[in-house]
Amino acid sequence: MTQTHTSEATQTAPPPPKWLHCNGQQLKKLAYAALTWLDHNHQHVNALNVFPVPDGDTGTNMLLTMRSAYGRIQNNEDEHVGKIAEQLAHGALMGARGNSGVILSQIWRGLAKGLKGKEAFDAQDLADAFQAASETAYGGVMKPVEGTILTIIREGASEATDAAKKSSDLRFLLERVLERCNQALERTPEQLAILKQAGVVDSGGQGLVYIFEGMLRYVHGKMNELKLSAMPGSNHAGLQHQITAQELAMPDGGAIENPYDVQFILMGDNLNVTEVRDRIDAMGDSTVVVGDETTIKVHIHVKDPGVPISYGISLGKITDVVVENMQMQMEEIVHVPGAQTAVPHTPPLIKPTVQPGQIGVVAVAAGDGLADIFRSMNVSFVVSGGQTNNPSIEELFQAIQDVPTDKVIILPNNKNIILAAEAARDLSPKNVTVVPTRTAPQGLSALLALDPDSDLDKTTEAMIDAAKEVSTGEITRATRSVTLDGVAVNEGEFIGLVDGRLCSSGTELTAVLNAVLTAMEMEDRELLTLYYGQDIAEDEASELASQIEEQYEDIEIELLSGGQPYYFYILGAE
Amino acid sequence: MTIKIVTDSACDVPPELAQQFDITVVPVYINVGTTSYLEGVEISREQFYNRLPTFPEYPTTAAPAIGAFTQLYEDLTAAGATQILSMHIAHDLSAVYNTARLGAAAAKSAPVTLFDTCQITLGAGLLVLLAAEAAAAGQTIAEIVTMLNEKVRRTYVFGMINSLESLHRSGRVNWAQFGIGTLLQIKPIMMITDGVISAAAKVRTRKRALSQMLKMVAELAPFERLAIIHVNAQEAAEELRQLSGDLFASLSEATPLIQGVTPAIGTHLGVGAVGFAAVLAETTG
Repeated sequence: MTQTHTSEATQTAPPPPKWLHCNGQQLKKLAYAALTWLDHNHQHVNALNVFPVPDGDTGTNMLLTMRSAYGRIQNNEDEHVGKIAEQLAHGALMGARGNSGVILSQIWRGLAKGLKGKEAFDAQDLADAFQAASETAYGGVMKPVEGTILTIIREGASEATDAAKKSSDLRFLLERVLERCNQALERTPEQLAILKQAGVVDSGGQGLVYIFEGMLRYVHGKMNELKLSAMPGSNHAGLQHQITAQELAMPDGGAIENPYDVQFILMGDNLNVTEVRDRIDAMGDSTVVVGDETTIKVHIHVKDPGVPISYGISLGKITDVVVENMQMQMEEIVHVPGAQTAVPHTPPLIKPTVQPGQIGVVAVAAGDGLADIFRSMNVSFVVSGGQTNNPSIEELFQAIQDVPTDKVIILPNNKNIILAAEAARDLSPKNVTVVPTRTAPQGLSALLALDPDSDLDKTTEAMIDAAKEVSTGEITRATRSVTLDGVAVNEGEFIGLVDGRLCSSGTELTAVLNAVLTAMEMEDRELLTLYYGQDIAEDEASELASQIEEQYEDIEIELLSGGQPYYFYILGAE
Repeated sequence: MTIKIVTDSACDVPPELAQQFDITVVPVYINVGTTSYLEGVEISREQFYNRLPTFPEYPTTAAPAIGAFTQLYEDLTAAGATQILSMHIAHDLSAVYNTARLGAAAAKSAPVTLFDTCQITLGAGLLVLLAAEAAAAGQTIAEIVTMLNEKVRRTYVFGMINSLESLHRSGRVNWAQFGIGTLLQIKPIMMITDGVISAAAKVRTRKRALSQMLKMVAELAPFERLAIIHVNAQEAAEELRQLSGDLFASLSEATPLIQGVTPAIGTHLGVGAVGFAAVLAETTG
C-alpha cells in the first residue's frame, strides 16, 4: 500500500447518485474504502476484548486479513467484478489470521462465489452474494455461536435480500445493510452472556460493521478524508531469519549466482576440518566451516543444495539442516513495499529427523525461548506468533508445506489460532490434523505423546489426551477494568488466569501468583514448569521459583526462559 | 562335547552366575580422556561411578581388542572346548560383536559360533544365562541357537532415564529423533527390543514415569525371566521392586535378580536410571 496508490485511489469519484451496477474497479474502491476505515478504527475493535488480557487483536487480525485481500487486487485493473472478487477472496484466505480473520475470509469467499462469472453486479446479485457469504461463514465454523460476527453477516444478508426487492439502487442496499448490522451488533450482548458481563459488543462483529461503513464512505464520497496508514510492522510473523542488507545487495540487479543458503551440522569420527572446508568452499561462496574432528558446522551458498548435503552424508551424520532459497526471499521482499528488513515467508527449516512418511509437527510459539523448547521437542517448524500476533492461514499453510513429510500435526497453542490452523489444514493437500492446544504448556504436554512413526489419527488422539494432563496458569496485566468470573479487575493490575478463566487480580504479582498456584491445585501436583516472559529478568524469576519451592516442598520446579511478550509468567502444572 | 559360553561385560551377567555356569566375560574398555580402563578389571563398577562426577572428560566406551578375542578363543579350544558360543550386545548398537567376529576369523582352529543378542545389559545377559542353562542341560549348539533365535524376539529392556544429560553427552544415539530435547526435563522410558532403541513413552515426572513403565511391563506378562536393572541406583531399584508388586509372582526364583548396569552402558543412560530386563513367556496358540 504505497502512498502513490493511496492518492490515486482517493481521487476516484464516488459512484453515481442512482447506482445500479458495480464493476470490478468499483468493487476495488469499495474494498479499499473498507480497508481504510478498518485501519482507522482497528484499535477500537481491539479494545472490545472480553478478557482484560492483551490478546485483544481482533481488529488487527481483521485488518491484516483485509490488507492481504486488497493487496491481491491493488494493481489489478480488471473491470470484471467476478474476477476481482475472486482475487479478493483468495487474498483474504491466504492472509487470514485469528478466528475473526478466518471468518472474514469466509465471508469474502462466499461473496466471490455469489459474484462468480459476473461482469458487474446489481442489487439482486449483491443480495444473493450476501446470502452466500453468510452461509459460507457459518460453514467455516464447527459450532456456530450467535452474538458474533456470524450473526452480523446473517442479519446483513437478510436485510440485503429485503432491500433488493424494494430498490435496485446499490447505495440504498448498502445503507440498509449497515443500519441492520449496527442494530444486530448492539444486540450481541443479549445473545452472548460473556459480552454482557464484560460490557462490550462483539469485536468481530464490530470489525465487520467498520468494513461496511467504510464501503458506504466511498459511496458517499467521503474517501478523500482519510489516508491509509503505512502498517507498522506489517507483521510477517514467523520470521526466523532476517535478511541482511548485504544479502539484499544484488550487484547484477536480480539473479543470485548461488541462490541456496545451506547450513548443517556434520557429526562423525576423525573429521578433517581443513579438508572439509576446502571441499565445501569449492562448491559455492560465503563458506563458513568450523568445528573439530567430531562436529563441524557448515554454511555455504550454492546452486544445488544437494551437493554439500550429499558430501556431508558421505562423511558422517548430518543434523540441523537448513536450506533457504535466497532468490525467492529477495523477490518477495522486492514485492513488499517498505519491508526492507523483513522476509514475508518463513524460510523452510528442514530437520532431517523428520523423514518422509513420518509425522511432522508445526507449532505456534510466542517468544524465542518457547520456540526453542518446541524445537527441542522435535517440532519440525515453529511459526512465531501468539497473543497479539496471530499467524495467518498462509503462514501456517506454508509451514505445513515446508515440513518434508505428508503427515503433519499442527499445535496452535492459542485459542485464537485454532480456526486458522484448521483452515490451513483444509487448504493443504497433505494429511493434516490439528491438536487444538490453547496454551504452550498444553502443546508441550501433547508433544510428549508424539510418535512420529505411528498412525496420524492415533497419535493425534494420544496428543489430545496428553494435552489435558497439564493445567496452565498465566499472569499478565489487565488491559482494562472489568468484572468477570466474579473477579473485579482494574486496568493495569496484575491478573492471573487458570486454564483460560480469570481467577485473581491485584497490584502485587506475588499475591496474584499465589492465587494462581492455589487455583491450579499445586498441593496435588508433582511438577511446576515456570516459563518467564521477555519482561522478566532471570534473577527475578529464579527468586520467585525459590519462593514457590519453599512454599510447596514436595514439588519439583523447573524454570525456563519462555521469552513470551505480555505474559510475565506462564505456568504448567502436572 | 564341551560347549563354552563367552560374553562381554556389557551383557551384565552377574559375576556369581558367570562363575556358576563357567561363562567367560570379556571386559570392554572405558576411556576417560586418553586413559583406557578394562571394565571390571582395571576399574570396578563402584570405582567408576564414584569417580564419574570428577572425570575431566565425559567417558566413552570401546570394544575389546580383536586380538583379545582371538587369544581367548584359542586358549579355550586348547583347554578342551569343542564348541564356543560367543554372545554379545546388539550388533546395531555396538562394535563388540564385529570385533568378536574378526577375532574368531583370526582364530583358525577355534570352533566359534557368534550370536547377536540384539540387546544390551541384562537383556543380553538373560539370553546368555538361558544359553548356559541349556548347554548345562546337554543341548547341542544348534539347538541352543534355535532356542535363542526364538527368544531374542521375546526379550525386552525398559529403562526410565533419570537425567537426560548423559544421553545427550554420550552422543551414541540420535536422541533428538525421539523428541527428547535438552531444554525441558523429561523422564523418557526407553525400550530396547530386537536391536532397536525407542522412546516408549515420554513423561515429565518421575512418579508418573515409574508407573507408566510398570504399566507397560505388566502388559507384557507373563514372563519367562524378569529382572530389575539400575545404573548405580540400588535404592531406586529396591523402590521399583516394591512397586512391582505381583509382576514377579509368576516366576520361580525366590528373589528377583537386581543387577547394576555396566559403566559401558551406564555412561550413556546416566546414573539413576532404573528399569527391567525381560524374556516373555512363550505365548500359547
